[in-house]
Amino acid sequence: MEKIKGKVIILGDDVDTDQILPGYAMSEPYEEIGKYAMAGLPTEDFKLNREPGCILVAGRNFGCGSSREQAPIALKQAQVALVVAQGFARIFRRNCINIGMPVFAADAVKKLHTGEIIEVDLEKGTITAPCGVIESAPLSESVLKTLEYGGLIPRVRAELGITE
Amino acid sequence: MNLIEKYLAKAAGKDHVAPGQDLTCKVSFVAAHDVTAPIAIRMFREIGVKKVFDPSRVALIVDHVYPASTEKARANVWAMDDFSKEFGVPLYQRGEGVIHQLMYEKHKQNPGDIVCIADSHTGTCGGYGQIGIGVGSTELAAAMATGTLDLEVPQVVQIYLTGKRPSNVFGKDLILYLGSKFGSDYLVDRGLLLTGPGIEDLSIAERMTVCNMGIEIGSMITIFGTAEKETDCFETYEIDLSALEPQIACPFSPANVVPVREKAGIKVTQVVVGSCTNGRLNDMEQVAKAFRGKKVNPDVNVLIVPASREILDQMEERGWTKIIRDAGATILNPGCGSCFGAHEGLITPRDVCVSTTNRNFPGRMGSKVGQIYLASPATAAAAALTGVITVPEV
Repeated sequence: MEKIKGKVIILGDDVDTDQILPGYAMSEPYEEIGKYAMAGLPTEDFKLNREPGCILVAGRNFGCGSSREQAPIALKQAQVALVVAQGFARIFRRNCINIGMPVFAADAVKKLHTGEIIEVDLEKGTITAPCGVIESAPLSESVLKTLEYGGLIPRVRAELGITE
Repeated sequence: MNLIEKYLAKAAGKDHVAPGQDLTCKVSFVAAHDVTAPIAIRMFREIGVKKVFDPSRVALIVDHVYPASTEKARANVWAMDDFSKEFGVPLYQRGEGVIHQLMYEKHKQNPGDIVCIADSHTGTCGGYGQIGIGVGSTELAAAMATGTLDLEVPQVVQIYLTGKRPSNVFGKDLILYLGSKFGSDYLVDRGLLLTGPGIEDLSIAERMTVCNMGIEIGSMITIFGTAEKETDCFETYEIDLSALEPQIACPFSPANVVPVREKAGIKVTQVVVGSCTNGRLNDMEQVAKAFRGKKVNPDVNVLIVPASREILDQMEERGWTKIIRDAGATILNPGCGSCFGAHEGLITPRDVCVSTTNRNFPGRMGSKVGQIYLASPATAAAAALTGVITVPEV
């Protein structure tokens, strides 16, 4: 897995899946979901830049709430390359990995600022930022393996020996 | 091993498991609803297998947006209908009820079996002794293909219940209280096991309410054990039910909880009683008892949503639907109703809603600033009558 370099957007604690993707957007066709990424955030001045390499950096319990996979799909379609948070809700964290979008748990939200460029090494478990190097735990081997396949579906296909 | 570890070991075909261990477990039943199934179906087709692992152990349910409020919602139902016919999997699409209630009524498994549903409230089945694991659509697609689920053995936090609850305290108040104690994320990746003589006073339906909302404090698995205290747990806390009082979750987190009396007097504009959390017959009984011979406050919009058609039928038989309608409340069709902000009772910034549902996040029911309080059906019914947040007298 390559290192991920991108521009930081800072978020708070307990950003739930209704904020990441509101209920009214969930019946939208798959390809359209990204339009509604972060549409439920109550902060009025928040703007997702939708440029390649966007890195969301949040506090505790990111992605709490619903199991809706539309939430990480929306972030991925909106060009979010990685979410860094102090902690993730379990289902959201697994959904991200399953669709091939990395998440990285690190105590970084108070050390970074919106607009800063950081580089995250998922295998080493480090963030290189203007404030210095932030260390955390690397992703597990199984998670890295799923990400290398590009998500759970290609991994399951490979494990079941399906090639067509 | 504690109860959760014993069940997981059995499902993984192992003699012994320990916290942190990765397992591949056999699943007993797999299901998805109209929000999660369309993507699960898309991913299942991408896997490229020719059949589901066992068509008698899979079901699809239309509960979130029924009847369809948009063309796009209806298109999702057609995707489920096509899949149902192609793979021989049952589809509930005529308003039979909420997925977790239908699991109880129609697809009960054996104690300790693992049920995997693409919905975060899958833990509900822990109220009757099953391990419910909520997943997203892709993981559900993989489980539909393989009949297995990968998971890690959680550290288990035991809540040992003693005492007898006061008459105005319910399972809902207990789980809200646990939210105030643990906060929104202490139990992430952990299991929650409820034991002790106190559980004997909680009906299956109330236990289902407790397990349903385990996810709101992060829990991976929430389940009721026996009156005996388990010895092999990560942590154990004792709670005396007789000391509990009615609880209410304030905007904008299910874990932002205080006793109802601290919020008494706040003006309310909408009341919702229903959902997979509190739409069962015992919940409807609380409403009927409170509303009998009375009128709801004219400034409050009161929406009652039975969790299933079977529950609605029993309400009819008992004369409760007439009591509720005569009081001026509206009974909606069984399903998820107003709970998740897609239809049937959205709120504006002017609204203050007391709801028995499971989440009060910003925008959960419409407006991002509209206020939602979460409470038991008894507390919600009291607010419907008085027009303000009220400690229920039951």
